[in-house]
Amino acid sequence: MKAFKYLSPTTVEEAIAFHSRHSETAKYIGGGTDVIVKVKEGWMEPDYLISLKKIGDMSELHKNDATGELSIGAMVTHATLEKSLMIRNEYPIIHDAVSNIGSLQVRNVGTIGGNLINAVPSADGAIPLIALDGMALLHGPDGERSVEVKDLFIAPYKTILKPREILKKITIPPQAPHTGSAYIKFGRRAAMELPLIGIGVLLTLDDDLQTCPRARICLGVAAPTPMRAFDAENFLVGKKIDENILIEAGKIAADESKVRDSVRGKAWHRKEMILVHVRRMGLKCLNMIKDNN
Amino acid sequence: MSKNNSEFSVVGKRIPKLDAAQKAMGRAEYIQDVKLPGMLFGKILYSKHAHANIVKIDTSKAKALAGVHAVLTGEDVPKKMKMGFIKDNPPIKKGNVCSLRDEVAAVAAISPEIAKKALDLIEIEYEELEGIFDPEKAMEKDSPLVHEHLKSNVLKMPWNIHYGDVEKAEKESAFVVEDRFTTTWVTHCCMGTSGAVALFDASENLTIYTNTQIPSLAHKDFLEALKAMGLENKRVRVIKPVIGGGFGSKLDTYAYEHIAILLAYKCRKPVKIVFDRVEEFKATSTRQPTVTYIKQGCDKNGKLTFRDMRMVLDNGGHTSWGATTPSVMLMPISSLYRVENVKYNAKCVYTNNTYSQAMRGYGNPQATFAIESSMDMLAEKAGIDRIEFRKINKNQSGDETPQGLKITSCGLEECIDAVKEELKFDGKNEKGIGTGIASLIHVGGGARIYGSDGCGAILKMDDYGKVDIFTGGTDMGQGLDNITAQIVAEELGLLAEDINVVHSDTDICPWDVGAHASRSTFVAGNAALGAAKKVKKKIQVFASKLFDVPAQEIELKDKLVFVPGDREKSMLIGKLLRKAHFRPGGTMLMAEHFYDPDNENMGKELKGNMSMTYSFGAHGAKVKVDEETGKVEVLEYVAAHDVGRAINPLLLEGQVYGGVIMGLGYALTEEVTVKDGEIMNANFRDYKLFTAKDAVKIKAPVIETDDKDGPFGAKGIGEPGCVPTAPAIANAIYDAVGVRIKDLPITPEKVLAALKDKNG
Repeated sequence: MKAFKYLSPTTVEEAIAFHSRHSETAKYIGGGTDVIVKVKEGWMEPDYLISLKKIGDMSELHKNDATGELSIGAMVTHATLEKSLMIRNEYPIIHDAVSNIGSLQVRNVGTIGGNLINAVPSADGAIPLIALDGMALLHGPDGERSVEVKDLFIAPYKTILKPREILKKITIPPQAPHTGSAYIKFGRRAAMELPLIGIGVLLTLDDDLQTCPRARICLGVAAPTPMRAFDAENFLVGKKIDENILIEAGKIAADESKVRDSVRGKAWHRKEMILVHVRRMGLKCLNMIKDNN
Repeated sequence: MSKNNSEFSVVGKRIPKLDAAQKAMGRAEYIQDVKLPGMLFGKILYSKHAHANIVKIDTSKAKALAGVHAVLTGEDVPKKMKMGFIKDNPPIKKGNVCSLRDEVAAVAAISPEIAKKALDLIEIEYEELEGIFDPEKAMEKDSPLVHEHLKSNVLKMPWNIHYGDVEKAEKESAFVVEDRFTTTWVTHCCMGTSGAVALFDASENLTIYTNTQIPSLAHKDFLEALKAMGLENKRVRVIKPVIGGGFGSKLDTYAYEHIAILLAYKCRKPVKIVFDRVEEFKATSTRQPTVTYIKQGCDKNGKLTFRDMRMVLDNGGHTSWGATTPSVMLMPISSLYRVENVKYNAKCVYTNNTYSQAMRGYGNPQATFAIESSMDMLAEKAGIDRIEFRKINKNQSGDETPQGLKITSCGLEECIDAVKEELKFDGKNEKGIGTGIASLIHVGGGARIYGSDGCGAILKMDDYGKVDIFTGGTDMGQGLDNITAQIVAEELGLLAEDINVVHSDTDICPWDVGAHASRSTFVAGNAALGAAKKVKKKIQVFASKLFDVPAQEIELKDKLVFVPGDREKSMLIGKLLRKAHFRPGGTMLMAEHFYDPDNENMGKELKGNMSMTYSFGAHGAKVKVDEETGKVEVLEYVAAHDVGRAINPLLLEGQVYGGVIMGLGYALTEEVTVKDGEIMNANFRDYKLFTAKDAVKIKAPVIETDDKDGPFGAKGIGEPGCVPTAPAIANAIYDAVGVRIKDLPITPEKVLAALKDKNG
């Protein structure tokens, strides 16, 4: 492994300044569960690693009770999210996703921000944040900007972040009443697993507890970047949701996915898994809404 | 039973592994920890193509790199330096490569980083040749040849047998089933990666530290290597550091060992080669993939009439012990259940894939997958309950099988009953849930594959009641140290911690054929017991003079030498040893014993009692199949084994749990994905080894049949845990949802495809 210097700035500004000083030879590092692997394998050869760990507010997980907005610092670990009762109760889709990332050890150090910025098609962390209409707050040399989490990704390992820009936090707008959400990672084993396919569903129902004004179906490993199945979502909007409708939505989502054959799994099976799990996750959402009512 | 477990003091006790603290505290010394003054680091360059001619190699830039001490190519390897039992594999290839793991050059440098950099500077021009990657296609007439000079891809191996009259038996059968089963590459996944450190002394004698399961045979291989290098009449010392897992992977000597020797000789310095994980996946050998055609029949009462099997094994580009696994496959094929008429033909075929080696079970898992899947199919066709069907055909003590295996003790029926009882086979299952059973036979009393199946032991006692025992046997994590210590302690009336087991240094320890064939407890155990008995006799003779009683009246227990019932005639063993030693004409107590079991080499007709005794077992699984995804969840698992006697039930359970988890991976998740000879998943992310979270609860009933030849009645149990796992799972899946998967591993894709096929 190539030697590097490890810098620990305490503010975002300082981090950006460090990065500016060392330009191309510096990389930001979060929990390090992806970066260190890349350095060890020689895929990345930085002279400086700039840790974001000591930037206090980047590790904050906070829900504003007045506005209902959830704020997740980019350096919040998967384990913190996994153990949060608030997350488990109010944002079950996040809980579902983070509690199956890697192993206990990986979740203890790996961060949600790092998971997004690593930008793999299989990123478990991205799917729920997209389904929840999350916004990513980016901070660069020219100041801050806000983008939808779904628009962060360009290609595998590639995001829209500009040089030196830092993902500071993700905000989740207040959730409508009668909302349920769920995620499943479908793989061959129970830990240390990349999903063969990841399926997240979020459903909101009107006061009649039947009609759906808003639906999100988000898929991992179904395309080069995490994707939303817009056709399937649009199909659900305005309809009274039942199992048959969800089966239809599953078919549409499978059709619009861009799954492919790889050494890890076959496209037909991935499609089939989308079909099955859009229904299963959808039903889980409906049950949640009923239980909470 | 000659003796009850309660009558033993040390045998039968759950004594934790003697090296547990050492390992847990990070103090055990693995090959990675071996550091010698002046040591250089070797690295190996592998072929870029699965099949090619080497047109030109230019090593000048690598040689010029500062810190590089030597660069070797095939040209630097002595002509007669070859590996494998048919010696078809030079440690660095010259002129031609036939797999992507073929070594084409090697470097020694002052650091691993420089060595790696030097590899990148070696320029090689290849002329690519057409590769062949499917063994069945490789047998076709116009197939490309892996080795041009051999004129055929099929190895000349003797695997063709016919006991009884299969054709006649088939005609007379009431029910016959026939099918094709396939298995793929899986690999050992030892936690400790492979490696060696070689050095020569001033007189050109070789010392090599290496991860090996066969110190004595490796010693022989390295002597031959030295001879090929022109170093005649030299000494070789093989030292085995603590091994992080063997599972058969270290049953041969490998290119990295021979290359370390060549580099050390050239540089006159110690040279260390240690694999990283990717190299471990790509350049070590796998279990061999098989294509199996099986036909079996029974009469109207369910009695097996014949078994006819044909196999094609992917040998890869070179030959190691993988090509001899049919000799062990023959055992379940001829002798799992009573069947008089047996036919078996196996062809080992060269391809441009990685070459195979020994892996836990040595062919038995592949053969048993086909046999036990087919047993269920035949039972169903005959309309007989599958448990009943197995009991009708069960092996029994006193049987001699068509292959000539003499079954001395057999607890197969008890094992089957234990599984039936635990899993409640008669109960009705919910939809999608099913149960499956599969049995096993394996060698449990050594296995005579070489001229000797022996093991030596030297035992010496100090002046204080402590023992050093130098055994030929090898502990590679399986626990032979404990077994040896418990056997010796039992015999000499000591505690296990009084026994220091020294193993795996060929300068110090006697000969042993190796830690394979589940033979260590039986063979190395008997060697240790033999030495302990001799020392015990000496103690008794000496004490008989002290106490003035006949020697046979003297007992050893709780560190005392005493005459039962006579409190006056009792002495601490340490005191007795001092009395024997510190006197004019004194003596110290030591003994040696070489134990070679009375088993037989298979002759030309492939008949003979290859083991002194056989271990049996039955595994049962309860699974839940998700019919929409094809995913299989193992709800319960029972692995019952006839072990003769459990010398250490704790370690025995460990062996069984580990074996079952390995077997479950084989059944459900593990495969080395190979595309045109290239390994596509050389990492633990994509090679789906079971994780702790995937582990299932395993019950491991122990059946003790007190084998007459085993040490304290014990039989070998190292491998059986992973032998019948896959068919037990496959049979349970069939019971659950009515689809039979005949190709391992049983992935959700395969199950779902089969379900879709069935439901139209």
